[in-house]
Amino acid sequence: MNCAEFQRILPDIIDEGHTPEQEAHLRSCYICSNLISDLTAISKEAQLLQASEEPNPRVWNSIEIALRREGLIRQPLRDSEVRPLSRRWNLAWLVPVAAALLVAFGMITYQRGVSRQTAQQPPVMPVSQGTLIPSGGDDQLLLEAVGTHSPTMRAAYETNLRNVNAYIHDAEDQASADPNDEEARQSLMNAYQEKAMVYEMALNRSLP
Amino acid sequence: MTDAKKPQDDRLSEAEAIERAKGGDAEAFEVLYNLHKRRVYSLCLRMTANTAQAEDLTQEAFLQLFRKIATFRGESAFSTWLHRMSVNVVLMHLRKKGLPVVSLEETIETEEETPRKELGAQDPVLAGSINRLQLQRAIDDLPPGYRTIFVLHDVEGYEHNEIAGMVGCSIGNSKSQLHKARMKLREFLKTSRAEKAAKP
Repeated sequence: MNCAEFQRILPDIIDEGHTPEQEAHLRSCYICSNLISDLTAISKEAQLLQASEEPNPRVWNSIEIALRREGLIRQPLRDSEVRPLSRRWNLAWLVPVAAALLVAFGMITYQRGVSRQTAQQPPVMPVSQGTLIPSGGDDQLLLEAVGTHSPTMRAAYETNLRNVNAYIHDAEDQASADPNDEEARQSLMNAYQEKAMVYEMALNRSLP
Repeated sequence: MTDAKKPQDDRLSEAEAIERAKGGDAEAFEVLYNLHKRRVYSLCLRMTANTAQAEDLTQEAFLQLFRKIATFRGESAFSTWLHRMSVNVVLMHLRKKGLPVVSLEETIETEEETPRKELGAQDPVLAGSINRLQLQRAIDDLPPGYRTIFVLHDVEGYEHNEIAGMVGCSIGNSKSQLHKARMKLREFLKTSRAEKAAKP
């Protein structure tokens, strides 16, 4: 058996045992034995890549939002969650205002991004990892409401708002870089929707 | 909102979480997600070589699972069910994007494809010197068809008969594609090592 014959059948035998003839060739041929050794090493190292990556927390945020939207999460109402209507109205305005602000903000930013492709103007509302949008005021108001009625949840909502704001920031960057990128625009709208859902869930949890 | 990094009840077993998830328990969904997120996301990332797509596909895979969880009867392992669903989600995505799930070179063996005897100095073997990050990058650079087969077999551990069924090729094609993927990776890793050695 020569190298050409051995390497021709290699795809069929590499992960299985070798015949005596094949073994004999490997013992006498450093090229083919090195080849087997390398391919085996690559295969073994590849196994270590299984489950080696951690998804961004926003993946879970998106999943939970979708589960709630589809009614797959069904939390039973406790007696303490029956709230006077008047107190609901004090904060209920937050949800439609936030949703409207987000949609309007998204539309304005997108339109400006398309119309001034080469302009050096700063974005309507600069966003960074640490800031809250659409304005710091709305997010801060929401967190205060959550903190007042469910103090233990405030930190979790702060984290979630930070994550979704970062998502919006990344999506804005992508959409700004290429206004014709349909996927980037869709990602941006998804990001805004996600933030609106965070507001809605925070409101549901925070009311006394 | 629950925090995926800190499940409120991480002592919940998978079986308990499945039963509670069927009843719509939020914490149960989160437990199941945390148990399997790395495997699913890594699979999606390896097969698409794109972080944003991998996140979307991970989300889609878990949503499909959770929508159907009421039908899970336990005949097979939950992880097997989820994993197979994840693979199908990724393959459908690749097909939708028009990317070849199996390499287009699968059945054509030209003179270039017949194995050549390697000549030249004896290179040291790769065993013991493979840089995982380089391997990851090399996998990302594989043609989509080769990458699919390699990830399914060498990373995820599927057998050729399973891969053939999933991607719609023959067992022989699966073996051939895998071999070509490994050969390309070997070439890439050796080149990287040589470049690194040549730097002052």
